[in-house]
Amino acid sequence: MKQREGSKYEIEMELDKISSLPGHIIDQILSQLPIKDAVRTSVLSSKWRYRWAKIPHLVFDNKCVSVPSEDQTFGKNKLTHIIDHVLLLHNGPIQKFKLSHRDLIGICDVDRWILYLSRSTIREFVLEIWKGQRYKLPSCLFSFENLIHLELFNCLLKPPSTFKGFRSLKSLDLQHITLAPDAFENLISSCPLLEKLTLMNFDGFTHLKIDAPNLQFFDIGGVFEYISFESTFQLSLVSVGLYANKNARNVSLEAIKWHSFFTDLPHVRRLEIQCFFLKYLADGGAPRMLPKPCLDLNYLSLRINFNDREENSAALCILRSSPNLLELELLVRSEEQNAVEELTYGWVQDHWKCHLEHLRLVKIVGISGVRYELDFIRFMLLSSPALERMTIKPASSDGGWDLMKELLRFRRASVQAEIVYMDP
Amino acid sequence: MSEADMAVIKPELMKSYIWLQTADGLIQQVEQEVAMFCPMIYQEVIQKGMGSSKNYAISLPQRVNPAMLSLVLDYCRFHQVPGHSNKERKSFDEKFIRMDTKRLCELTSAADSLQLKPLVDLTSRALARIIEGKTPEEIREIFHLPDDLTEEEKLEPLKNTTDDPRIRLLNRLYAKKRKELKEREKLKNAGTGEEHVDDRSVDDLLSFINGDSKMTKASKNKKKNRRRKEKTALLNESVETDKMETNGLDFVGHDVEHGIDCQLSPSESSKFQDVEEDFFARKVEFDDVDMDDEIDPALKEKIDREVEDFARRLKIDWPERMQEILSFGQERRPVQVSLNGSGSLRK
Repeated sequence: MKQREGSKYEIEMELDKISSLPGHIIDQILSQLPIKDAVRTSVLSSKWRYRWAKIPHLVFDNKCVSVPSEDQTFGKNKLTHIIDHVLLLHNGPIQKFKLSHRDLIGICDVDRWILYLSRSTIREFVLEIWKGQRYKLPSCLFSFENLIHLELFNCLLKPPSTFKGFRSLKSLDLQHITLAPDAFENLISSCPLLEKLTLMNFDGFTHLKIDAPNLQFFDIGGVFEYISFESTFQLSLVSVGLYANKNARNVSLEAIKWHSFFTDLPHVRRLEIQCFFLKYLADGGAPRMLPKPCLDLNYLSLRINFNDREENSAALCILRSSPNLLELELLVRSEEQNAVEELTYGWVQDHWKCHLEHLRLVKIVGISGVRYELDFIRFMLLSSPALERMTIKPASSDGGWDLMKELLRFRRASVQAEIVYMDP
Repeated sequence: MSEADMAVIKPELMKSYIWLQTADGLIQQVEQEVAMFCPMIYQEVIQKGMGSSKNYAISLPQRVNPAMLSLVLDYCRFHQVPGHSNKERKSFDEKFIRMDTKRLCELTSAADSLQLKPLVDLTSRALARIIEGKTPEEIREIFHLPDDLTEEEKLEPLKNTTDDPRIRLLNRLYAKKRKELKEREKLKNAGTGEEHVDDRSVDDLLSFINGDSKMTKASKNKKKNRRRKEKTALLNESVETDKMETNGLDFVGHDVEHGIDCQLSPSESSKFQDVEEDFFARKVEFDDVDMDDEIDPALKEKIDREVEDFARRLKIDWPERMQEILSFGQERRPVQVSLNGSGSLRK
């Protein structure tokens, strides 16, 4: 250490406020820097020389290596080199590890890093393989005992037979993954603390049985044939998107019973039924009302094709059974007109008393002014005495004027209701 | 904070106050609901029943001095009101943290000792934003950090595990060159750019360029090539003229980036220090984000003009030479990967 005049040294020590902050705060500051800047702090002063090596969060993403796109192998090698270097020099527990870089296709390297991480008490692990085929995760990943959050993109999971589940896992996010059917069920049921589950674009399994007593948030988008929930009493946010037009009639006995979907979700607060899921639910007809009303349902979003009578009935069934609905969103799924232009199939008479007493906001997107759509809107306006605003956004500007003229005429049960017409 | 608690402590419409004592002995009265926003104070009141009178003032941790306390209370006063929207809160936060870094550090410390996590998060994020993207010199200046690492330590900040003798040799060479440069700096007056260029040895120029963190993307590639080139060059002592010319381009580019007129003035070289530290910090082989800067067309013209001037001075035919260098750079590309010091490809 260089010798300094006593007072000058003291003054400098006085001025240097940041180095004397408590350890966990410096960790926090360094963790919020890109890894590059964090490692650079090692040249600042003697106190900072190895400080970065203790940061508990390691994030390797596109900011790490900025390489011109033509030189991908170089970028990949550079990234590998950086991660190897950082992991080797890191000194302390690693709590969060995120690896997400577009050039990452080196398979054996990731295996090696996961093995390294399995020896520390890692809590959050995010791996995104941007390109190439599904990356097969090594079995040591399944020995991350302290894992709380797991996020995988474009991976193939094959848990070993000795896998007993992630005991502390609370949040699971799987997108573009492949998993064997029993492996999936096993995975979910062996994570008792699971609260948040996201599944997007999966293959390898089509029957989903979600057995998770602590689950609160569930978001699924993909192609499946069957979905059921078990003991999911706490589930309050659900979003289900069925990406393919599955003809439920083909899946006869397995087809989800109308009412069981909702009885399995007694406390659902926010529900989104997207893509073809409503069609799937509606296939085979829908009852007038659900056996038990969804008392907690506050927000409902439906992707619906108004021309399909069954979907219409399905939507009505849900609406009638949700007395506490506050907000409704209807997104029109445009399909070819089946030329099933049935004359008003007793629509208006059909309407069993439906009082959506708390409904305040309605949003309808993508309509084209077809008869059934207008009927539905009219029905909504008549059933919602507390309505504050209805926003309508047509799919195109064709027939916009006619649509508006019709809308103007509709009676409204709510005195304060505004109808807002938005340009397509 | 439950309603019941508030009802017991707070008589009808009168605001109640609690007493706080900072480490310097100063005792002050603060509105109860504001102060209770801090978990530490809340616990003192609820669990230990302190703060109700002057004698039983809550003694605050040492890191909370009166100035910091008033800042923390300002924060609490705003945020404890439930009516504000998220947008309002965010905008308040943005304005709130506009203070000098010394106070920001003190505030972080104070907030932490009062266990006020939202404020700790806010201030640490602000500090991170200050550090991000700056050179070590700048960071040291802002935070008054002592520059107490030895030259050697700076060169090998991470105890470079590479035992590559070439790298060690290079490190030593660069350290020597840097010292020489510094000395020369002190002696020289403000001169024209060309003098500097002509006097310094090639190695110095190279180390300047390689440490230069303000290059554009285009020149960055060339620079990478040159770095590889120069490693072999230094060991094999190959042609120097190539490097001279390419140096020219970079000098000018560098200058223009800084908005200074063409001539390389001595004031530039004072940046050598941090610039080379950058290089050595880059031992871990990170690329500089600054490289992604684009030159706008007006500047580009200026660069072109100045490059031609410079080339004339060096008595070289520029466009042809340019082509050669560019193609040279392209050829070299595949070679450079194998020269990668880490030897990762050798695995």
